[in-house]
Amino acid sequence: MDERFALVGLCPAAEQAAPKGRRPGKRPALAAAFLALMVLGCLLFPLLLTKDPASMDLSNYAREPDGTFWFGTDTMGRDIFAMIWSGGRVSLSIGFLATALSTVIAVAVGAVSGLAPRWLDALIMRLTDILLSIPSLLVIILLQAALGRANIASLSLVIGATGWMSVARVVRTEVRQLRTSEYVAAARCMGGGTFHILRRHLAPNFLASIMFMVVMNVRGAIVAESTLSFMGAGLPLDTVSWGSMLSLAENALTAGAWWIVLIPGLFLVATLLAVTELGEWLRRSANRGQSNL
Amino acid sequence: MCETLLDVRGLCHSFPLGAGRYLRAVDGVSFRIRKGEIFGLVGESGSGKSTVARCVMNILRPQAGSILYRGVDVCDPAQFRANRRMLQTERQIIFQDSSSSLDQRMKVADIIAEPLAVNHIVPPRGSLRAEAAFQLRYVGMDPAYLDRYPPELSGGQRQRVAIARALTMEPSLLVADEPIAALDVSIQAQIINLFRHLQAEHGFTFLFIAHDLAVVRYLCDRVGVLYRGKLVEMAPTKELFDRPLHPYTKALLSAIPIPDPRRERARTRFHFDEAAFDRTGGFVQVSPEHFVLGGKEAEP
Repeated sequence: MDERFALVGLCPAAEQAAPKGRRPGKRPALAAAFLALMVLGCLLFPLLLTKDPASMDLSNYAREPDGTFWFGTDTMGRDIFAMIWSGGRVSLSIGFLATALSTVIAVAVGAVSGLAPRWLDALIMRLTDILLSIPSLLVIILLQAALGRANIASLSLVIGATGWMSVARVVRTEVRQLRTSEYVAAARCMGGGTFHILRRHLAPNFLASIMFMVVMNVRGAIVAESTLSFMGAGLPLDTVSWGSMLSLAENALTAGAWWIVLIPGLFLVATLLAVTELGEWLRRSANRGQSNL
Repeated sequence: MCETLLDVRGLCHSFPLGAGRYLRAVDGVSFRIRKGEIFGLVGESGSGKSTVARCVMNILRPQAGSILYRGVDVCDPAQFRANRRMLQTERQIIFQDSSSSLDQRMKVADIIAEPLAVNHIVPPRGSLRAEAAFQLRYVGMDPAYLDRYPPELSGGQRQRVAIARALTMEPSLLVADEPIAALDVSIQAQIINLFRHLQAEHGFTFLFIAHDLAVVRYLCDRVGVLYRGKLVEMAPTKELFDRPLHPYTKALLSAIPIPDPRRERARTRFHFDEAAFDRTGGFVQVSPEHFVLGGKEAEP
Protein backbone atom coordinates (compact mmCIF):
# COMPACT_ATOMS: atom_id res chain seq x y z
CA MET A 1 0.00 0.00 0.00
CA ASP A 2 2.81 2.39 0.85
CA GLU A 3 4.60 2.47 -2.50
CA ARG A 4 1.33 3.25 -4.19
CA PHE A 5 0.90 6.19 -1.92
CA ALA A 6 4.42 7.25 -2.77
CA LEU A 7 3.03 7.75 -6.24
CA VAL A 8 0.40 10.11 -5.01
CA GLY A 9 2.80 11.84 -2.67
CA LEU A 10 2.55 11.05 1.00
CA CYS A 11 4.18 13.91 2.77
CA PRO A 12 4.92 13.95 6.49
CA ALA A 13 3.64 16.85 8.48
CA ALA A 14 6.57 19.15 8.93
CA GLU A 15 6.37 20.03 12.59
CA GLN A 16 8.09 23.31 13.11
CA ALA A 17 8.97 24.85 16.39
CA ALA A 18 6.86 27.90 16.92
CA PRO A 19 8.98 30.87 16.02
CA LYS A 20 9.52 33.37 18.77
CA GLY A 21 7.05 36.20 18.94
CA ARG A 22 4.61 34.25 16.79
CA ARG A 23 1.57 35.89 18.25
CA PRO A 24 1.08 39.29 16.78
CA GLY A 25 0.04 41.68 19.51
CA LYS A 26 0.66 40.63 23.06
CA ARG A 27 -2.06 39.50 25.34
CA PRO A 28 -3.68 42.22 27.42
CA ALA A 29 -2.30 40.85 30.67
CA LEU A 30 -2.69 44.10 32.57
CA ALA A 31 -6.30 44.62 31.49
CA ALA A 32 -7.23 41.00 32.24
CA ALA A 33 -5.55 41.13 35.63
CA PHE A 34 -7.32 44.38 36.50
CA LEU A 35 -10.70 43.06 35.44
CA ALA A 36 -10.16 39.83 37.35
CA LEU A 37 -9.21 41.89 40.41
CA MET A 38 -12.35 44.01 40.04
CA VAL A 39 -14.62 41.02 39.64
CA LEU A 40 -13.02 39.13 42.51
CA GLY A 41 -13.00 42.24 44.67
CA CYS A 42 -16.65 42.92 44.00
CA LEU A 43 -17.57 39.33 44.74
CA LEU A 44 -15.54 38.95 47.92
CA PHE A 45 -15.15 42.39 49.47
CA PRO A 46 -18.72 42.91 50.58
CA LEU A 47 -18.28 39.78 52.70
CA LEU A 48 -15.14 41.10 54.33
CA LEU A 49 -16.09 44.72 54.83
CA THR A 50 -16.87 45.86 58.31
CA LYS A 51 -18.61 49.03 57.23
CA ASP A 52 -22.01 48.92 55.61
CA PRO A 53 -21.78 50.84 52.32
CA ALA A 54 -25.38 52.01 52.68
CA SER A 55 -25.21 53.24 56.26
CA MET A 56 -25.10 57.00 56.53
CA ASP A 57 -22.88 58.35 59.23
CA LEU A 58 -23.84 61.99 59.29
CA SER A 59 -21.19 62.89 61.82
CA ASN A 60 -18.56 61.91 59.25
CA TYR A 61 -19.92 63.39 56.03
CA ALA A 62 -17.61 64.47 53.19
CA ARG A 63 -14.49 63.38 55.03
CA GLU A 64 -11.21 63.40 53.16
CA PRO A 65 -9.47 60.03 52.69
CA ASP A 66 -7.67 59.07 55.91
CA GLY A 67 -6.82 55.99 57.96
CA THR A 68 -10.40 55.14 58.90
CA PHE A 69 -12.07 56.03 55.60
CA TRP A 70 -9.52 54.99 52.97
CA PHE A 71 -11.29 56.71 50.13
CA GLY A 72 -13.11 59.22 52.31
CA THR A 73 -16.87 59.56 52.73
CA ASP A 74 -19.49 61.14 50.56
CA THR A 75 -21.84 64.00 51.35
CA MET A 76 -24.20 61.57 53.10
CA GLY A 77 -21.48 60.10 55.25
CA ARG A 78 -21.14 56.78 53.46
CA ASP A 79 -17.76 55.09 53.24
CA ILE A 80 -16.56 55.35 49.64
CA PHE A 81 -14.19 52.38 49.91
CA ALA A 82 -17.08 50.09 50.83
CA MET A 83 -19.30 51.70 48.20
CA ILE A 84 -16.77 51.12 45.42
CA TRP A 85 -16.90 47.37 45.89
CA SER A 86 -20.58 46.92 46.54
CA GLY A 87 -21.35 49.48 43.82
CA GLY A 88 -19.00 47.69 41.43
CA ARG A 89 -20.99 44.56 42.06
CA VAL A 90 -24.11 46.30 40.86
CA SER A 91 -22.45 48.00 37.89
CA LEU A 92 -20.61 44.92 36.68
CA SER A 93 -23.58 42.61 37.09
CA ILE A 94 -25.75 45.00 35.11
CA GLY A 95 -23.02 45.11 32.48
CA PHE A 96 -22.80 41.34 32.18
CA LEU A 97 -26.52 40.57 32.54
CA ALA A 98 -27.57 43.19 30.03
CA THR A 99 -24.94 42.02 27.57
CA ALA A 100 -25.90 38.38 27.97
CA LEU A 101 -29.52 39.26 27.29
CA SER A 102 -28.76 41.48 24.31
CA THR A 103 -26.42 38.87 22.81
CA VAL A 104 -29.04 36.13 23.08
CA ILE A 105 -31.64 38.35 21.42
CA ALA A 106 -29.16 39.49 18.78
CA VAL A 107 -28.06 35.97 17.83
CA ALA A 108 -31.64 34.73 17.70
CA VAL A 109 -32.94 37.63 15.62
CA GLY A 110 -29.85 37.72 13.41
CA ALA A 111 -29.84 33.99 12.74
CA VAL A 112 -33.56 33.89 11.96
CA SER A 113 -33.26 36.89 9.68
CA GLY A 114 -30.16 35.50 7.98
CA LEU A 115 -31.75 32.14 7.27
CA ALA A 116 -35.21 33.47 6.44
CA PRO A 117 -36.54 34.04 2.94
CA ARG A 118 -35.90 37.45 1.48
CA TRP A 119 -39.21 39.10 2.43
CA LEU A 120 -39.05 38.02 6.07
CA ASP A 121 -35.41 39.07 6.24
CA ALA A 122 -36.32 42.50 4.89
CA LEU A 123 -39.17 42.83 7.37
CA ILE A 124 -37.03 41.90 10.38
CA MET A 125 -34.18 44.13 9.30
CA ARG A 126 -36.41 47.17 8.68
CA LEU A 127 -37.94 46.70 12.14
CA THR A 128 -34.42 46.51 13.54
CA ASP A 129 -33.52 49.69 11.66
CA ILE A 130 -36.51 51.46 13.17
CA LEU A 131 -35.52 50.38 16.66
CA LEU A 132 -31.96 51.39 15.95
CA SER A 133 -32.98 54.86 14.85
CA ILE A 134 -34.65 55.67 18.17
CA PRO A 135 -32.14 57.02 20.69
CA SER A 136 -31.70 54.12 23.06
CA LEU A 137 -31.51 56.30 26.17
CA LEU A 138 -35.00 57.56 25.42
CA VAL A 139 -36.32 54.02 25.09
CA ILE A 140 -34.53 52.93 28.24
CA ILE A 141 -36.07 55.77 30.27
CA LEU A 142 -39.48 55.06 28.79
CA LEU A 143 -39.31 51.33 29.47
CA GLN A 144 -37.91 51.90 32.93
CA ALA A 145 -40.77 54.28 33.70
CA ALA A 146 -43.23 51.64 32.56
CA LEU A 147 -41.55 48.96 34.68
CA GLY A 148 -41.67 51.08 37.78
CA ARG A 149 -39.01 51.21 40.47
CA ALA A 150 -35.63 50.24 39.08
CA ASN A 151 -33.58 47.38 40.43
CA ILE A 152 -30.65 45.43 39.00
CA ALA A 153 -32.82 42.95 37.12
CA SER A 154 -35.17 45.48 35.57
CA LEU A 155 -32.34 47.78 34.58
CA SER A 156 -30.42 44.90 32.96
CA LEU A 157 -33.57 43.89 31.15
CA VAL A 158 -34.18 47.38 29.84
CA ILE A 159 -30.58 47.99 28.80
CA GLY A 160 -30.27 44.52 27.28
CA ALA A 161 -33.54 44.80 25.39
CA THR A 162 -32.41 48.02 23.73
CA GLY A 163 -28.84 47.07 22.93
CA TRP A 164 -29.12 44.10 20.57
CA MET A 165 -29.84 45.77 17.24
CA SER A 166 -26.38 46.44 15.88
CA VAL A 167 -25.10 43.00 16.88
CA ALA A 168 -28.15 41.40 15.28
CA ARG A 169 -27.39 43.18 12.02
CA VAL A 170 -23.85 41.86 12.03
CA VAL A 171 -25.04 38.32 12.80
CA ARG A 172 -27.61 38.54 10.02
CA THR A 173 -25.07 39.77 7.47
CA GLU A 174 -22.58 37.09 8.44
CA VAL A 175 -25.17 34.31 8.34
CA ARG A 176 -26.45 35.48 4.97
CA GLN A 177 -22.97 35.49 3.57
CA LEU A 178 -21.88 32.22 5.19
CA ARG A 179 -24.95 30.25 4.23
CA THR A 180 -24.07 30.46 0.55
CA SER A 181 -20.52 29.24 1.16
CA GLU A 182 -19.51 25.89 -0.17
CA TYR A 183 -18.89 24.26 3.16
CA VAL A 184 -22.48 24.92 4.10
CA ALA A 185 -23.55 23.43 0.75
CA ALA A 186 -21.32 20.46 1.49
CA ALA A 187 -22.83 20.08 4.96
CA ARG A 188 -26.31 20.16 3.45
CA CYS A 189 -25.30 17.51 0.91
CA MET A 190 -24.16 15.20 3.67
CA GLY A 191 -27.49 15.63 5.38
CA GLY A 192 -26.80 18.33 7.96
CA GLY A 193 -29.98 20.06 9.11
CA THR A 194 -30.38 23.77 9.70
CA PHE A 195 -29.59 23.41 13.37
CA HIS A 196 -26.42 21.44 12.70
CA ILE A 197 -25.25 24.05 10.20
CA LEU A 198 -26.07 26.86 12.57
CA ARG A 199 -24.22 25.29 15.45
CA ARG A 200 -21.19 23.80 13.72
CA HIS A 201 -20.58 26.19 10.84
CA LEU A 202 -22.37 29.48 11.24
CA ALA A 203 -22.04 30.14 14.96
CA PRO A 204 -18.26 29.61 15.22
CA ASN A 205 -17.78 31.93 12.26
CA PHE A 206 -20.06 34.76 13.26
CA LEU A 207 -19.20 34.59 16.97
CA ALA A 208 -15.69 35.69 16.12
CA SER A 209 -16.95 38.75 14.36
CA ILE A 210 -19.41 39.81 17.05
CA MET A 211 -17.06 39.07 19.96
CA PHE A 212 -15.66 42.57 19.88
CA MET A 213 -19.12 44.12 19.74
CA VAL A 214 -20.33 41.96 22.59
CA VAL A 215 -17.46 43.02 24.80
CA MET A 216 -18.11 46.61 23.83
CA ASN A 217 -21.72 46.07 24.85
CA VAL A 218 -20.54 45.27 28.38
CA ARG A 219 -18.92 48.67 28.37
CA GLY A 220 -22.01 50.26 26.89
CA ALA A 221 -24.26 48.73 29.51
CA ILE A 222 -22.07 49.93 32.37
CA VAL A 223 -22.03 53.41 30.87
CA ALA A 224 -25.80 53.32 30.34
CA GLU A 225 -26.36 52.35 33.97
CA SER A 226 -24.03 55.10 35.14
CA THR A 227 -25.69 57.65 32.90
CA LEU A 228 -29.15 56.70 34.08
CA SER A 229 -28.18 56.71 37.71
CA PHE A 230 -26.33 60.00 37.29
CA MET A 231 -29.47 61.51 35.79
CA GLY A 232 -31.49 60.07 38.63
CA ALA A 233 -33.52 57.87 36.27
CA GLY A 234 -31.71 54.70 37.14
CA LEU A 235 -31.13 52.98 40.42
CA PRO A 236 -32.39 54.81 43.51
CA LEU A 237 -29.85 56.68 45.57
CA ASP A 238 -29.84 54.09 48.34
CA THR A 239 -28.81 51.32 45.92
CA VAL A 240 -25.14 51.96 45.59
CA SER A 241 -23.62 51.71 42.11
CA TRP A 242 -20.79 53.53 40.40
CA GLY A 243 -23.32 55.57 38.51
CA SER A 244 -25.35 56.53 41.54
CA MET A 245 -22.16 57.44 43.34
CA LEU A 246 -21.35 59.82 40.52
CA SER A 247 -24.80 61.32 40.77
CA LEU A 248 -23.58 63.12 43.87
CA ALA A 249 -20.91 64.76 41.77
CA GLU A 250 -22.43 68.24 41.57
CA ASN A 251 -22.86 68.49 45.31
CA ALA A 252 -19.37 67.18 45.78
CA LEU A 253 -17.81 69.68 43.43
CA THR A 254 -19.49 72.60 45.10
CA ALA A 255 -18.33 71.24 48.43
CA GLY A 256 -14.78 70.89 47.05
CA ALA A 257 -14.70 67.17 47.84
CA TRP A 258 -12.72 65.83 44.84
CA TRP A 259 -12.57 62.27 46.16
CA ILE A 260 -16.31 61.75 45.87
CA VAL A 261 -16.14 62.27 42.11
CA LEU A 262 -12.62 61.25 41.30
CA ILE A 263 -12.42 57.87 43.00
CA PRO A 264 -15.58 56.20 41.62
CA GLY A 265 -14.88 57.90 38.27
CA LEU A 266 -11.37 56.48 38.22
CA PHE A 267 -12.63 52.96 38.88
CA LEU A 268 -15.28 53.33 36.20
CA VAL A 269 -12.85 54.64 33.59
CA ALA A 270 -10.20 52.03 34.42
CA THR A 271 -12.73 49.22 34.13
CA LEU A 272 -14.02 50.52 30.82
CA LEU A 273 -10.47 50.82 29.51
CA ALA A 274 -9.70 47.25 30.56
CA VAL A 275 -12.86 45.97 28.84
CA THR A 276 -11.97 47.88 25.68
CA GLU A 277 -8.46 46.51 25.71
CA LEU A 278 -9.81 42.99 26.07
CA GLY A 279 -12.22 43.56 23.19
CA GLU A 280 -9.45 44.87 20.96
CA TRP A 281 -7.38 41.80 21.68
CA LEU A 282 -10.32 39.51 20.94
CA ARG A 283 -10.82 41.21 17.61
CA ARG A 284 -7.18 40.86 16.68
CA SER A 285 -7.05 37.20 17.63
CA ALA A 286 -10.30 36.43 15.79
CA ASN A 287 -8.85 37.71 12.53
CA ARG A 288 -5.54 35.97 12.97
CA GLY A 289 -6.34 32.44 11.80
CA GLN A 290 -7.62 33.54 8.43
CA SER A 291 -4.80 35.84 7.48
CA ASN A 292 -2.59 32.97 6.30
CA LEU A 293 -4.27 32.70 2.93
CA MET B 1 -25.08 -4.53 -19.82
CA CYS B 2 -24.10 -2.42 -16.86
CA GLU B 3 -26.69 -0.97 -14.56
CA THR B 4 -27.44 2.75 -14.84
CA LEU B 5 -26.74 4.60 -11.59
CA LEU B 6 -27.51 8.16 -12.58
CA ASP B 7 -29.93 9.12 -15.29
CA VAL B 8 -30.23 12.80 -16.14
CA ARG B 9 -33.10 13.59 -18.46
CA GLY B 10 -33.73 16.92 -20.12
CA LEU B 11 -32.18 18.96 -17.33
CA CYS B 12 -32.85 22.70 -17.58
CA HIS B 13 -31.78 25.42 -15.22
CA SER B 14 -31.63 29.17 -15.59
CA PHE B 15 -30.50 31.93 -13.27
CA PRO B 16 -32.39 35.19 -12.94
CA LEU B 17 -30.34 38.14 -14.15
CA GLY B 18 -32.80 40.66 -12.86
CA ALA B 19 -35.17 42.83 -14.89
CA GLY B 20 -37.05 39.74 -16.01
CA ARG B 21 -34.09 38.34 -17.93
CA TYR B 22 -32.77 34.86 -17.39
CA LEU B 23 -29.51 33.13 -18.12
CA ARG B 24 -30.00 29.64 -19.46
CA ALA B 25 -27.18 27.82 -17.75
CA VAL B 26 -28.27 24.29 -18.59
CA ASP B 27 -30.61 23.61 -21.46
CA GLY B 28 -31.99 20.14 -21.94
CA VAL B 29 -29.01 18.07 -20.89
CA SER B 30 -29.47 14.30 -20.82
CA PHE B 31 -26.91 11.64 -20.04
CA ARG B 32 -26.59 8.39 -18.17
CA ILE B 33 -23.80 7.21 -15.97
CA ARG B 34 -23.33 3.52 -15.45
CA LYS B 35 -22.33 2.02 -12.20
CA GLY B 36 -18.58 2.06 -11.63
CA GLU B 37 -17.67 4.27 -14.55
CA ILE B 38 -15.86 7.60 -14.64
CA PHE B 39 -17.88 10.04 -16.64
CA GLY B 40 -16.19 13.27 -17.61
CA LEU B 41 -18.09 16.46 -18.30
CA VAL B 42 -16.02 19.05 -20.14
CA GLY B 43 -16.69 22.48 -21.46
CA GLU B 44 -15.44 26.04 -21.27
CA SER B 45 -16.13 28.39 -18.41
CA GLY B 46 -19.81 29.20 -18.15
CA SER B 47 -20.93 26.20 -20.14
CA GLY B 48 -23.05 24.93 -17.26
CA LYS B 49 -20.84 22.15 -15.93
CA SER B 50 -21.04 23.19 -12.30
CA THR B 51 -24.76 23.84 -12.57
CA VAL B 52 -25.26 20.24 -13.69
CA ALA B 53 -23.20 19.03 -10.71
CA ARG B 54 -25.15 21.20 -8.30
CA CYS B 55 -28.47 19.98 -9.67
CA VAL B 56 -27.32 16.38 -9.35
CA MET B 57 -26.41 17.06 -5.71
CA ASN B 58 -29.71 18.85 -4.95
CA ILE B 59 -27.92 22.10 -4.20
CA LEU B 60 -29.86 23.74 -7.00
CA ARG B 61 -33.36 22.89 -8.08
CA PRO B 62 -33.69 22.47 -11.83
CA GLN B 63 -36.61 24.16 -13.57
CA ALA B 64 -37.27 21.20 -15.81
CA GLY B 65 -36.13 17.67 -16.38
CA SER B 66 -35.49 14.89 -13.95
CA ILE B 67 -32.48 13.34 -12.31
CA LEU B 68 -32.89 9.70 -11.41
CA TYR B 69 -30.47 8.20 -8.97
CA ARG B 70 -31.06 4.47 -8.57
CA GLY B 71 -34.48 5.14 -10.06
CA VAL B 72 -35.33 7.79 -7.45
CA ASP B 73 -36.16 11.20 -8.84
CA VAL B 74 -34.04 13.43 -6.63
CA CYS B 75 -35.76 16.59 -7.87
CA ASP B 76 -39.13 15.43 -6.63
CA PRO B 77 -39.52 16.62 -3.01
CA ALA B 78 -41.67 13.68 -1.97
CA GLN B 79 -39.30 11.08 -3.42
CA PHE B 80 -36.33 12.96 -2.03
CA ARG B 81 -37.78 12.96 1.47
CA ALA B 82 -38.62 9.29 1.31
CA ASN B 83 -35.05 8.42 0.30
CA ARG B 84 -33.27 11.26 2.05
CA ARG B 85 -30.86 9.18 4.03
CA MET B 86 -29.86 6.97 1.12
CA LEU B 87 -29.35 9.99 -1.12
CA GLN B 88 -27.38 11.93 1.42
CA THR B 89 -25.06 9.14 2.36
CA GLU B 90 -24.46 7.63 -1.07
CA ARG B 91 -23.80 10.80 -3.04
CA GLN B 92 -20.89 13.03 -2.14
CA ILE B 93 -19.41 16.09 -3.75
CA ILE B 94 -15.95 17.63 -3.98
CA PHE B 95 -15.82 21.30 -4.81
CA GLN B 96 -13.34 23.23 -6.86
CA ASP B 97 -12.04 25.60 -4.26
CA SER B 98 -11.02 23.79 -1.11
CA SER B 99 -10.39 27.03 0.74
CA SER B 100 -14.11 27.76 0.67
CA SER B 101 -15.46 24.22 0.82
CA LEU B 102 -13.79 23.51 4.17
CA ASP B 103 -14.87 25.37 7.27
CA GLN B 104 -11.85 27.37 8.40
CA ARG B 105 -12.75 27.04 12.04
CA MET B 106 -12.95 23.27 12.11
CA LYS B 107 -10.03 20.98 12.65
CA VAL B 108 -9.16 18.52 9.89
CA ALA B 109 -10.29 15.63 12.12
CA ASP B 110 -13.73 17.21 12.61
CA ILE B 111 -14.08 18.07 8.93
CA ILE B 112 -13.39 14.52 7.81
CA ALA B 113 -15.66 12.98 10.43
CA GLU B 114 -18.47 15.48 9.89
CA PRO B 115 -20.57 13.30 7.52
CA LEU B 116 -20.43 10.45 10.02
CA ALA B 117 -21.37 12.72 12.90
CA VAL B 118 -24.23 14.31 10.96
CA ASN B 119 -25.70 10.96 10.02
CA HIS B 120 -25.06 9.41 13.45
CA ILE B 121 -23.15 6.57 11.91
CA VAL B 122 -21.13 4.44 14.28
CA PRO B 123 -17.58 4.78 12.97
CA PRO B 124 -16.32 1.42 11.69
CA ARG B 125 -12.87 2.02 13.15
CA GLY B 126 -13.85 2.74 16.72
CA SER B 127 -13.86 6.48 17.13
CA LEU B 128 -14.53 9.35 14.79
CA ARG B 129 -10.94 10.43 15.20
CA ALA B 130 -9.58 7.00 14.27
CA GLU B 131 -11.82 7.06 11.23
CA ALA B 132 -10.55 10.52 10.26
CA ALA B 133 -6.95 9.35 10.72
CA PHE B 134 -7.59 6.35 8.50
CA GLN B 135 -9.18 8.40 5.74
CA LEU B 136 -6.42 10.97 5.92
CA ARG B 137 -3.78 8.31 5.49
CA TYR B 138 -5.85 6.86 2.70
CA VAL B 139 -5.63 10.05 0.68
CA GLY B 140 -1.92 10.24 1.28
CA MET B 141 -1.59 12.54 4.24
CA ASP B 142 0.05 12.08 7.59
CA PRO B 143 -2.40 11.76 10.54
CA ALA B 144 -0.32 14.45 12.25
CA TYR B 145 -2.45 16.91 10.27
CA LEU B 146 -5.59 15.93 12.18
CA ASP B 147 -5.36 18.85 14.57
CA ARG B 148 -4.55 21.46 11.95
CA TYR B 149 -6.98 24.00 10.57
CA PRO B 150 -7.52 24.37 6.80
CA PRO B 151 -5.72 27.73 6.52
CA GLU B 152 -2.59 25.98 7.78
CA LEU B 153 -2.58 23.52 4.88
CA SER B 154 -1.50 23.92 1.28
CA GLY B 155 -4.01 23.82 -1.56
CA GLY B 156 -3.21 20.23 -2.47
CA GLN B 157 -3.49 19.13 1.14
CA ARG B 158 -6.83 20.88 1.55
CA GLN B 159 -8.18 19.19 -1.55
CA ARG B 160 -7.04 15.85 -0.11
CA VAL B 161 -8.94 16.65 3.06
CA ALA B 162 -12.03 17.43 0.99
CA ILE B 163 -11.61 14.09 -0.81
CA ALA B 164 -11.20 12.29 2.51
CA ARG B 165 -14.40 13.90 3.79
CA ALA B 166 -16.28 12.66 0.73
CA LEU B 167 -14.82 9.18 1.09
CA THR B 168 -15.74 8.65 4.76
CA MET B 169 -19.27 7.89 3.64
CA GLU B 170 -18.03 5.26 1.16
CA PRO B 171 -20.11 6.94 -1.54
CA SER B 172 -21.57 5.15 -4.52
CA LEU B 173 -21.58 8.35 -6.56
CA LEU B 174 -18.84 10.90 -6.24
CA VAL B 175 -19.34 14.22 -7.99
CA ALA B 176 -16.20 16.27 -8.40
CA ASP B 177 -16.76 19.82 -9.59
CA GLU B 178 -13.45 20.85 -11.15
CA PRO B 179 -11.51 19.41 -8.22
CA ILE B 180 -8.12 20.22 -9.69
CA ALA B 181 -8.72 23.55 -11.37
CA ALA B 182 -7.49 25.51 -8.36
CA LEU B 183 -4.26 23.51 -7.99
CA ASP B 184 -0.94 23.88 -9.74
CA VAL B 185 0.11 21.31 -12.30
CA SER B 186 2.34 19.04 -10.22
CA ILE B 187 -0.34 18.80 -7.52
CA GLN B 188 -2.98 18.21 -10.19
CA ALA B 189 -1.08 15.13 -11.31
CA GLN B 190 -0.93 13.84 -7.73
CA ILE B 191 -4.64 14.37 -7.19
CA ILE B 192 -5.56 12.78 -10.53
CA ASN B 193 -3.48 9.73 -9.69
CA LEU B 194 -5.11 9.66 -6.29
CA PHE B 195 -8.55 9.68 -7.93
CA ARG B 196 -7.57 6.82 -10.22
CA HIS B 197 -6.22 4.84 -7.35
CA LEU B 198 -9.23 5.48 -5.12
CA GLN B 199 -11.69 4.70 -7.86
CA ALA B 200 -9.95 1.41 -8.59
CA GLU B 201 -10.02 0.59 -4.89
CA HIS B 202 -13.56 1.71 -4.03
CA GLY B 203 -15.25 1.24 -7.36
CA PHE B 204 -17.44 4.30 -6.87
CA THR B 205 -19.15 5.90 -9.83
CA PHE B 206 -17.52 9.17 -10.62
CA LEU B 207 -18.89 12.28 -12.30
CA PHE B 208 -15.76 14.26 -13.03
CA ILE B 209 -16.11 17.83 -14.19
CA ALA B 210 -13.16 19.56 -15.77
CA HIS B 211 -12.08 21.92 -18.48
CA ASP B 212 -8.70 20.29 -18.91
CA LEU B 213 -9.05 17.81 -21.76
CA ALA B 214 -5.74 16.05 -21.16
CA VAL B 215 -6.88 15.17 -17.64
CA VAL B 216 -10.22 13.94 -18.89
CA ARG B 217 -8.54 11.80 -21.49
CA TYR B 218 -6.33 10.23 -18.85
CA LEU B 219 -9.01 9.64 -16.24
CA CYS B 220 -12.43 9.15 -17.79
CA ASP B 221 -14.17 6.24 -19.44
CA ARG B 222 -16.74 8.36 -21.22
CA VAL B 223 -16.90 12.06 -21.90
CA GLY B 224 -19.70 14.52 -22.50
CA VAL B 225 -18.96 17.91 -24.02
CA LEU B 226 -21.05 20.85 -22.84
CA TYR B 227 -21.34 24.09 -24.75
CA ARG B 228 -23.56 26.96 -23.65
CA GLY B 229 -25.74 24.68 -21.59
CA LYS B 230 -26.15 22.10 -24.33
CA LEU B 231 -24.56 18.70 -24.44
CA VAL B 232 -23.05 18.73 -27.93
CA GLU B 233 -21.32 15.37 -28.00
CA MET B 234 -21.00 12.30 -25.83
CA ALA B 235 -18.80 9.29 -26.53
CA PRO B 236 -16.30 6.92 -24.94
CA THR B 237 -13.06 8.81 -24.33
CA LYS B 238 -11.03 7.12 -27.02
CA GLU B 239 -13.76 7.46 -29.60
CA LEU B 240 -14.27 11.14 -28.80
CA PHE B 241 -10.60 12.01 -29.04
CA ASP B 242 -10.06 9.93 -32.21
CA ARG B 243 -13.19 10.85 -34.06
CA PRO B 244 -14.76 14.10 -32.83
CA LEU B 245 -17.84 14.94 -34.86
CA HIS B 246 -19.35 18.16 -33.58
CA PRO B 247 -17.50 21.28 -34.77
CA TYR B 248 -17.25 22.57 -31.20
CA THR B 249 -15.64 19.35 -30.03
CA LYS B 250 -13.22 19.53 -32.93
CA ALA B 251 -12.32 23.09 -32.01
CA LEU B 252 -11.94 22.15 -28.35
CA LEU B 253 -9.68 19.19 -29.12
CA SER B 254 -7.57 21.13 -31.56
CA ALA B 255 -6.89 23.66 -28.82
CA ILE B 256 -5.02 21.14 -26.65
CA PRO B 257 -1.38 22.20 -26.58
CA ILE B 258 1.15 19.59 -27.68
CA PRO B 259 4.29 19.31 -25.52
CA ASP B 260 6.57 19.30 -28.57
CA PRO B 261 7.44 22.72 -29.99
CA ARG B 262 7.75 21.60 -33.61
CA ARG B 263 4.50 19.74 -33.64
CA GLU B 264 2.89 22.47 -31.55
CA ARG B 265 3.80 25.08 -34.19
CA ALA B 266 2.56 22.84 -36.98
CA ARG B 267 -0.73 22.21 -35.15
CA THR B 268 -3.73 23.50 -37.02
CA ARG B 269 -6.35 25.11 -34.86
CA PHE B 270 -9.91 24.39 -35.77
CA HIS B 271 -12.05 27.46 -35.31
CA PHE B 272 -15.60 27.20 -34.17
CA ASP B 273 -18.00 29.87 -35.31
CA GLU B 274 -20.12 30.70 -32.27
CA ALA B 275 -22.79 32.36 -34.34
CA ALA B 276 -23.26 29.21 -36.34
CA PHE B 277 -24.03 27.16 -33.23
CA ASP B 278 -27.34 25.48 -33.79
CA ARG B 279 -28.96 24.66 -30.44
CA THR B 280 -32.17 23.34 -31.88
CA GLY B 281 -31.07 20.02 -33.30
CA GLY B 282 -31.72 16.74 -31.57
CA PHE B 283 -29.22 14.32 -30.15
CA VAL B 284 -28.28 11.81 -32.84
CA GLN B 285 -26.76 8.43 -32.28
CA VAL B 286 -23.96 7.84 -34.77
CA SER B 287 -22.59 4.64 -33.32
CA PRO B 288 -23.76 2.55 -30.35
CA GLU B 289 -21.95 4.73 -27.86
CA HIS B 290 -21.46 7.94 -29.76
CA PHE B 291 -24.02 10.75 -29.68
CA VAL B 292 -23.82 14.15 -31.27
CA LEU B 293 -26.03 17.21 -31.32
CA GLY B 294 -27.60 18.02 -34.66
CA GLY B 295 -27.74 15.61 -37.55
CA LYS B 296 -25.55 17.03 -40.25
CA GLU B 297 -22.27 16.95 -38.31
CA ALA B 298 -22.60 13.21 -38.00
CA GLU B 299 -21.03 12.83 -41.42
CA PRO B 300 -17.30 12.49 -40.89
